[in-house]
Amino acid sequence: MGEWTWRGFKVVQSLVERLPRAWAYALAVMAARLAWRFSPLARPRLEYNLKIACPELRDDPMALRRLSRLNFQNHAKAYADLMQLPSARIEAMRPLLKVKGLENLDAARSLGRGVLAVSCHMGSYEVVSAIWAATLAPVSFFAEELEPRALFEWYRDTRARLGISVLTLDMGGIRKVLQALREQEMVITAIDRDITETGYLMPFFGKLAPIPLGPASIALRLGTPLLPVCVYRLPDDTYMAEAAPHVFAKSTGNPRADQVRATQELLRQIEGFIRQHPEQWHVPHRIWAGSP
Amino acid sequence: MKVGLVSPYDFASPGGVNDHVRRLAVRLRQLGHEARIFAPSSRADVDFDSARFYRIGTPIAIPVNDSVARITLSFHLANQVAAIIADEGFDVLHFHEPLMPALPITMLRMSTTANVGTFHAFARSNVGYFYGRPLLQPYLAHLHRGIAVSEPARAFVQRYFPDFPLRVIPNGVDLNVYRPGLAPIRHLRDENLNVLFVGRLEKRKGLGDLLRAYRAMSMRVPQTRLIIVGDGPLRGRVESYVARHRLANVVLAGYVPESVKPRYYDSADIFCAPATGAESFGIVLLEALASGLPVVATEVPGYMSVLESGRDSVTVQPNNWRELAASLVILARDADLRRRLSDYALRKARRYSWDLIASEVVEVYQEAREAVAAQPAKAMEVTGVHHAV
Repeated sequence: MGEWTWRGFKVVQSLVERLPRAWAYALAVMAARLAWRFSPLARPRLEYNLKIACPELRDDPMALRRLSRLNFQNHAKAYADLMQLPSARIEAMRPLLKVKGLENLDAARSLGRGVLAVSCHMGSYEVVSAIWAATLAPVSFFAEELEPRALFEWYRDTRARLGISVLTLDMGGIRKVLQALREQEMVITAIDRDITETGYLMPFFGKLAPIPLGPASIALRLGTPLLPVCVYRLPDDTYMAEAAPHVFAKSTGNPRADQVRATQELLRQIEGFIRQHPEQWHVPHRIWAGSP
Repeated sequence: MKVGLVSPYDFASPGGVNDHVRRLAVRLRQLGHEARIFAPSSRADVDFDSARFYRIGTPIAIPVNDSVARITLSFHLANQVAAIIADEGFDVLHFHEPLMPALPITMLRMSTTANVGTFHAFARSNVGYFYGRPLLQPYLAHLHRGIAVSEPARAFVQRYFPDFPLRVIPNGVDLNVYRPGLAPIRHLRDENLNVLFVGRLEKRKGLGDLLRAYRAMSMRVPQTRLIIVGDGPLRGRVESYVARHRLANVVLAGYVPESVKPRYYDSADIFCAPATGAESFGIVLLEALASGLPVVATEVPGYMSVLESGRDSVTVQPNNWRELAASLVILARDADLRRRLSDYALRKARRYSWDLIASEVVEVYQEAREAVAAQPAKAMEVTGVHHAV
């Protein structure tokens, strides 16, 4: 199965890579419509998540339908962006990226302890990080190892070419994250999904969900500022990266409580981002217990 | 001083000559001179200040010297170029590959200012130079000063034009950009020993030998990785070789943006340059030396003009993958040797800093200007040949 996923991906990717950006998007939107209509699980899961994030959608099935369709389309466009990355001339893409809250990043950076940017699965974070890494400063991703292996290697090499190091969620990866932060680099991770299934139950949009405490525990250990960030697509298909003021994990002697407090503070910011752009929060996955 | 730099090659595709032109322009500006670049380009946007770049003509790909030259063959550009030259009033026009059609040679014909030419290429023979000698000689006479990037490049030109004096000024490297201690690509820094190749994936760069050597090497030194930076026509064949022989740990990075390339050097342990012949210099070698990497390279004249075998590198016969594999194995197993080579490489790279090189080039500009002042030039007549084409 894994082998065939990879082959299928590669075929589609090599096709999309050769298309102009507008065509790739057109193809993506078509694929998204099909997936939206026929996917057995992705759409119910996404709609379940959206209903929790935006309670007003519960009584408005039409709005929910519209939002989930738009979400699928944006998600497919993000995939198209990713597939175009291997041949993208990233230096020329700098004008496509706008940044809001740069002063927050500068403030976090000026502390001299690296920056741990904490985000959610939103927008074309691949492209935005690539533009950032290739034109501004090195960044590392702290992310899960995908299956199959060949797909993961493709992801990793594609990102590396643009200056993004990919560090996995294991001991070796964590060591490298610590090293990167000590050398004052920026490490990016997402906490809206508990991939390693080691998350701590805490309210996320008012409902208990397992949320990883890893970033907070690293921040606690190194004194690194945690920077809530998100990226989203603007209507003209350019990208916006937004940063909120940084959060500190302050030590009070009880590490678990400190981690939870910092993580909750981050979650409040991230909830704000998601409420502003629910159509770009790409999570056709299980987040809360009870999801289809 | 106002300087026009002329390159015959497609400015939008990466390559040694254009890289040289780009960096020289930047340095000249830092030294207080004004620099403009003339080159054909397949794209309007070339990642260079557009006010200082003149896009002249559209390039076509011509296979030459085991590589592909993307040059423009539009001889009708003369009017466009003449207008710009008259408008700008250059003190010096600096032609890179001055005898290459059509842009440099067309501009050289019309130039009335001080002309300097830099010869980059090296090959065993050049049919164009051989048969074109009588035609090209008058153009050459129009150059006030000549530069060759290396001894082999000079010897190559002087084989056909023995009376033309050439001064050797090597390529430079930006020591602020290429240096140890940059942020590496972190996931490449693990227990594996990284062998790095940087270059266009084409026959003359010898990647085939490197792949065979790597295959042999990885059997004897298990924890190794081969990182291939660059893209080119042979990419598909490289991919299928890797798949066919199930080579583990080969990273095909493809084309890497200039801003990220130095970080790949800093993620590697050994640099390998297995070119098979027609290299006049090898800027990648300088980048590797400046990043403090021990080098394994083939003994081609261009490389040997930069490297000192045994001090900063291990060199092997070209087209001999067994020797290449043996050298890689020796170097991979001997951390002490790597350190020694790397120390010397770092010291040596300082000699090639762009600051030094650019000031040498400016010296040549001055000489050329003095030569013009002594004997004012006049534009060459448009010959019958040009009407014919």
